[in-house]
Amino acid sequence: MKKRFSTMLFVDVRRLLVSRLTYIMLAIALVCPILILVMTTMMDGAVTVNPQTGVETEIKAFDSVWQAIASPSSAGMTMDLTGMCNINLMYFAAAVWVCLFVSEDFRSGYAKNLFTVRAKKTDYVASKTVVFIVLGGLLILCWIIGALLGGAVAGLSFDTMGANYFNIVMCIISKMAVMAVFVPIALAISVAAKQRAWLSICCALGGGMLLFMMIPMLTPLDAGAMNVVLCLAGGAMFSFGLGAVSNLILKKTSLV
Amino acid sequence: MDAIVIRNLSKSFGQKQAVSGLNMTVPAGAIYGFIGENGSGKSTTEKMICGLIPKSEGSIRIFGNDHTDAKVRAGIGVLIEAPGCFPGLTVWNNMMLQATNLGLENAEEQVRATLKLVRMEGSASNKYKNCSLGMKQRIGIAMALLGDPKLLVLDEPLNGLDADGMRIMREVLTDIVKDGEHTVLISSHLLPELQKIATHYGIIRHGRMIREMTAEELSEDCPTFVALRAADMRRARSVLNLHYARVEEDIEREYLRVYDAESPEEVVKHLYDNSVTVSELFTERIGLEEYYINLMEGRK
Repeated sequence: MKKRFSTMLFVDVRRLLVSRLTYIMLAIALVCPILILVMTTMMDGAVTVNPQTGVETEIKAFDSVWQAIASPSSAGMTMDLTGMCNINLMYFAAAVWVCLFVSEDFRSGYAKNLFTVRAKKTDYVASKTVVFIVLGGLLILCWIIGALLGGAVAGLSFDTMGANYFNIVMCIISKMAVMAVFVPIALAISVAAKQRAWLSICCALGGGMLLFMMIPMLTPLDAGAMNVVLCLAGGAMFSFGLGAVSNLILKKTSLV
Repeated sequence: MDAIVIRNLSKSFGQKQAVSGLNMTVPAGAIYGFIGENGSGKSTTEKMICGLIPKSEGSIRIFGNDHTDAKVRAGIGVLIEAPGCFPGLTVWNNMMLQATNLGLENAEEQVRATLKLVRMEGSASNKYKNCSLGMKQRIGIAMALLGDPKLLVLDEPLNGLDADGMRIMREVLTDIVKDGEHTVLISSHLLPELQKIATHYGIIRHGRMIREMTAEELSEDCPTFVALRAADMRRARSVLNLHYARVEEDIEREYLRVYDAESPEEVVKHLYDNSVTVSELFTERIGLEEYYINLMEGRK
């Protein structure tokens, strides 16, 4: 069991290392926050006018670099730029990545080779879950690095908005743990959709939107140990629960 | 021990019954030619053997164990429809992925040896998407051979292969089964090629096995005949009809076939006595292709 799982894990890691998409996704995670922070800072204070209603809206950029990662719990879920264009976008990026990766398995016919010699589907599901949670964590790290660089370039404040560095570390760990919620969702949808990448991406993004609103509440900038525990518990629940669903789908449906 | 024993296997896709009560026995050490029309259920059966689609009913046993057994499945090499390769990766990387997947210890060595076996060692660094159809098929075969599988399931492996590719394929497959421990289940529409290597046959129609036989049994069922071409074919036929019960015209090749002649000399004598000049004459046995067509058309 251990050997089977480790070889599967090795196959997935090997595939990711030789895939261009891996480097593109990591680059996106790194560059996106830089662009967002620099461009919004440049546009800060600009006013847009709705031509029909004549209502003027002022573009309000980020006050602090840390807003690109999370807002304090007091802020809740804001529907403005700072609430939407932040690190939480990486959950969607990870979901899209899972969908593309899994659909490629089926589209290329690789799944035929794989599942012929591997009767146990658990290895496939577990390996993909582990690999993409780790990669999701990497995406989050890349975003943080990008945000710090972007903030420095844009000359933004590094004010922690009442949170201390322990809170920020807890927040980041919580963010990483939430990947264990999004990855299994995308995986379950992908194995059901098989080679239809467009379908799995649409469904994964749609499903992700339902949970998207909850992330700021679970992972505020001033997070504590309890947030980490909650996120890890949620992640474990989704990973095992949806992992079992994915396993069942693979067992009961055609793999070609 | 038999390599594959299938009993009452059925598979339906909605209202469509793809395989219906199929029984099949593939002896260990055989090259089993699995023949049938398009849509007869060959690929579906092969996919069920490999566990790629769930069966509706029936049982599949491979080397005495259920086909879902992980150990049994680890010993199957497969090429179904097309090789399962990532187009953007090189041939080498694709092979290495499968080697890793199989948990081979000396992966690089085995990949190199297998590529050499199918004469693809020079194309290892090519991207899979840039390979020709024949090259892709060879890669697929190499992939199926990785890890020395005890059972090879090959669906149309000869498609797209050139003459050299087919020869290599024949050599590889006949070499593999020599030890009696390896078994090949191969489906192909290229029946003359299949006849050169198969030791057993199974003919499937509408999802049911209509005939299973050994190559020897096929030979016995395929009569020999004297084929001839004469200057005046019409006259030759009328002469031969006087002496033989079964004289047929091979319209495609423009020959007359005499099935119940004792010897070619006897046929020539009858024609000579009636002043019919024979320009070409030989003895032949009807092949698998013709046997199969006759069977499908309900002719003896």
